[in-house]
Amino acid sequence: MNVLQSDSPLIVYVDVKSPYAFVAIRPTLALEVELGMKFDWRPLTLDIPSYLGSAEKKEGKVVASSGRSPKVWNAIRYSYGDARRYAKRQGLILKGTEKIWDSSIANIGILWVVEQDRDKLGGYFDAVFPPFWRRELDIEDVDVVKSCLAAAGVDADGFDDFQSGEGRALHDDLQPQFHPHGIYGVPTYVIGDEVLFGREHIPYLRWHLSGQKGPAPDIAYEIEPC
Amino acid sequence: MLTVYIDFKSPASYLAINPVLALVERHGIALAWKPFRTSEREAPTVTDNASVAQMHRKVRAVSRRVIQQKYAAHQGISLEFPEAVGNTDLALGALALTSGDPLPFINAAFAAYWTDHADLNAPTALAILMSETTGEDFVLDDKSCLDALESSQAEAEKLGVVDAPAFIIRDQLFIGREHLPWIDEIIRTET
Repeated sequence: MNVLQSDSPLIVYVDVKSPYAFVAIRPTLALEVELGMKFDWRPLTLDIPSYLGSAEKKEGKVVASSGRSPKVWNAIRYSYGDARRYAKRQGLILKGTEKIWDSSIANIGILWVVEQDRDKLGGYFDAVFPPFWRRELDIEDVDVVKSCLAAAGVDADGFDDFQSGEGRALHDDLQPQFHPHGIYGVPTYVIGDEVLFGREHIPYLRWHLSGQKGPAPDIAYEIEPC
Repeated sequence: MLTVYIDFKSPASYLAINPVLALVERHGIALAWKPFRTSEREAPTVTDNASVAQMHRKVRAVSRRVIQQKYAAHQGISLEFPEAVGNTDLALGALALTSGDPLPFINAAFAAYWTDHADLNAPTALAILMSETTGEDFVLDDKSCLDALESSQAEAEKLGVVDAPAFIIRDQLFIGREHLPWIDEIIRTET
């Protein structure tokens, strides 16, 4: 699988453990419905410690941290607070994570749903993202991910083998392709030869995918009335 | 009152000017421009054996540039990245000390930096820019400028500002012009 190529007009890269991806899921799904298109949703499992340092929290307090300056911490605090208020507008709860999770199994679940029953993808996102961000889901546990698949109405028979075999290989094959192709975070949208990071590009994506009528819109976090 | 923190070397600040002015025109809200020194950096050069962290920073920096230039083109703005990030401290301090409408100076300073790569930390050139755009007989005092910047910087950091453009409205902090729809909603609710 080439990270920039798809039969769909738009590729969307997400990671379950990213608060930015969390708050982008619903607006992006809504765009898909609005345009009557099927986007190509794919996993990008972030290697957060490699570029933001690592940290572990217990009961909301940092108990271990490495490679994070006060400046980095301030930026992270703002980012989480920002994602939290937008999540709240969507009726969602976003609690800071207690550790940096390995989200690969839950992300391989995306590939599984796409392969098994593409129309259930929204249901899978609903079964994984909100409970994970309420700290109710151990996404490193295969059985937990299988229960999310079941909750979305997706047959989980065979997922054990998929997540350790074919699905893992697909997932791992994507990872080294990201940086060389200009992809570094989630959500990332690939439209034609453009790589756009962040849900602020949704107005542009809508404009682009619906015929580029009128002037191109600026970046914006679109909001629904509170 | 909408307070907007900007830095002339921040492309995101530059690209926020027109949308902010459009917002202000729509609602007739009072606006205060304040300086904030950002930590803009050049895109790092990487070698074949670069670490993941180095590659990440490089890819992110290049991607941001491409995207900023794309949206700048939509606005009809020329965004020429200088080879090295310039120091804008004096210009930011001068902004803090401006008594009248700072907008002509702001527009001129952004254009000077992003089109001509002007040195906005050069006292003489800056004094001329200030006098030409504000109509004031501006006598540039380095120390007063830098003190004014530090004061604004400290105030901003106390409010949680970590980058520019940053917006303060009704005690809420927003960083980035992508938040303008929410800010617009707050203003509409207020009026």
